[in-house]
Amino acid sequence: MTKTSLRWFIPLAFLASTQAQAELQAPDISLTLDAYHKSDSTALGGRVEGWGLSHTELGISQQFGSFARGKFTAVAESNKEETDFSIEEAYLQSLALPAGLTVRGGRFLADIGYLNGQHPHADSFTERPLLYRAFLGGHYYDDGLGLSMVMPTDLYWRISAEAFKGDELGEFEADPTIGTWALSTTVGGDLSATQSWQAGFSYLRNRMLAEGEEEHGHDHADEHAGHSHGAEYTGKHLYLADLVWKWAPKGNNRDQQLTLSAEYARVNDLNEYASGDDYHEGWYGSAVYRFAPQWSAGVRHGRVDLKLGHGDHFHDGALEETVAMLAWSPSHSQTVRVQYSHQDAVEDWHGTFAGADNAVTLQYIISFGAHDAHTF
Amino acid sequence: MPLVLAAVLPLPAQALTLFACEPEWAALGQILAPQADITSATHAYQDPHYIEARPSLIARLRRTDLAICSGAALEAGWLPALQQRAANPVVQPGREGMLFVAEQVETINQMDQVPFGAGDVHPEGNPHLHLDPERLRQAGAAMSQRLAQVDPERAAQYRSHYLRWSIRWQQRLDDWHQRAQPLRGQMIVVQHSTFDYFWRWLGIEVIADLEPKPGVPPTPGHLADLVTRLDGQRPLAIVHSWYQNPQSARWLSERTGIPVLALPSTMAPDDGVVTPEQLFDHLLDRLLAQHDAR
Repeated sequence: MTKTSLRWFIPLAFLASTQAQAELQAPDISLTLDAYHKSDSTALGGRVEGWGLSHTELGISQQFGSFARGKFTAVAESNKEETDFSIEEAYLQSLALPAGLTVRGGRFLADIGYLNGQHPHADSFTERPLLYRAFLGGHYYDDGLGLSMVMPTDLYWRISAEAFKGDELGEFEADPTIGTWALSTTVGGDLSATQSWQAGFSYLRNRMLAEGEEEHGHDHADEHAGHSHGAEYTGKHLYLADLVWKWAPKGNNRDQQLTLSAEYARVNDLNEYASGDDYHEGWYGSAVYRFAPQWSAGVRHGRVDLKLGHGDHFHDGALEETVAMLAWSPSHSQTVRVQYSHQDAVEDWHGTFAGADNAVTLQYIISFGAHDAHTF
Repeated sequence: MPLVLAAVLPLPAQALTLFACEPEWAALGQILAPQADITSATHAYQDPHYIEARPSLIARLRRTDLAICSGAALEAGWLPALQQRAANPVVQPGREGMLFVAEQVETINQMDQVPFGAGDVHPEGNPHLHLDPERLRQAGAAMSQRLAQVDPERAAQYRSHYLRWSIRWQQRLDDWHQRAQPLRGQMIVVQHSTFDYFWRWLGIEVIADLEPKPGVPPTPGHLADLVTRLDGQRPLAIVHSWYQNPQSARWLSERTGIPVLALPSTMAPDDGVVTPEQLFDHLLDRLLAQHDAR
């Protein structure tokens, strides 16, 4: 042990030459395939029956030193009705602003609701809840600019403001410079070592609806069964509230985890004929339990209450959907999911929900490369 | 409104805030920077590979001056999400406030290329390097140096705390080497590569892993294979860490007669394992007790 006295100095001397350096890393490239078979098409968009590829994405992300991060995501969807390519994300995000600020510019997923900011392959079910499909076209991304701020508080508290062109929300007659803008706030924390929660409230202002324009829900009723790119039921104001609660034994979410989530949406000012009582409304509640590291099961129930525009008045429509799923993830990069969906047209008018059906979906997701770490 | 103002105004100068991804770095932080405000993002009952990027962790990282993580992709599933959401420039990759220990201390089992389907292995090597007491000391050196950079006013303190701890650590190392003599050359069955550094340091040979591939949970087929493979062998124990489900280890134990040993893979302050010294004392005590019981 004669060298002992020297040995504990060596690490310090050795380290002086190996400082951490900021260097431009190679971009992360990821490919996620989402192949499925669905027994029947269902109402209000979602997957088309038969074999298909849904939300198959090629993602490239690049960190620019410690200052900014860029992300590009191209999405392909293919089913028996159409094959469709789109660019869903192409943005730059700051990493080095002070005071908890982040600026994002380009095309990105709007920071509203609980699910909207997540990539669909991270979802627990094969399709987004009814309210997302009715009011946001499944998920809402657009070209715009966003600013968010994380407060320096013990409780997680974030506020964000975004402005978009509005072109991706749907097909509208008007074309203002700022087509939509959104405000949202999220709070969250831990209730104990085993429980954590998050709650959010968002507002989306839609300025794409020209004065005097009629909502075209009625005219396009026959398209409702198919794939949709934009929101089908719109109004000037969209309000979203979301609540998520997660539990894992001893806080170890590797083996088991229970996730409860719920969202509520209301759309006001549907058109010039709408009175205060004429609004769209939707909600869902879901429970997903991962009971073993590779297995999870979940149920979700949701409903939308819609005002179906007909000239200067509205007809009531209501659609309910209950889904149950079982998923097996043999590895981090693969998931096989089987889901049963049941739809019930509680109140229909002129066959708006004629596509309401029961369906069994088999889904296989495989990803290659390093994709983004999943959020809460 | 007063609440908003209070949240936006800069906070007065105060103790350094440390964010440790794993308890071992929080424990080292306590030694090197006892006055700092230190929290660990994870604990001994959590699998550090699978942590949720929870709101509480984002809020915590938002207020952090120095984040210390194992690195080597151990936190790849959750830390980047926290870094992107916390909007804290000092803890971004490559910045002074973000220390990945595995970038400063050499890891074992590095790979040039990871073939598809190899399981959750990373080219950067095994990240659980804190379980080698020699490497833990190097980590202490790296941490003290980074602390000095982030908080230059107390640079001398961090250095002297490190040197004092390092001398004590050397005495313990000699002591542990003596005590661990009977364990040299023993065999062991493991679940994941968590303790690989520790076995190497002790001279214990790993003869089987309950995981068919790294990071893939034990399968019935693989366990049945192990029953045959372990026939006639006499390993010291089937070791799993506290955060792992003991089912598979127990199943194999019932069929092979090899005892199960649950060990903490890091400090667990609530269970009396607070300091690095206590962790290695505890691990050695448990293994020696197992050895003596045979």
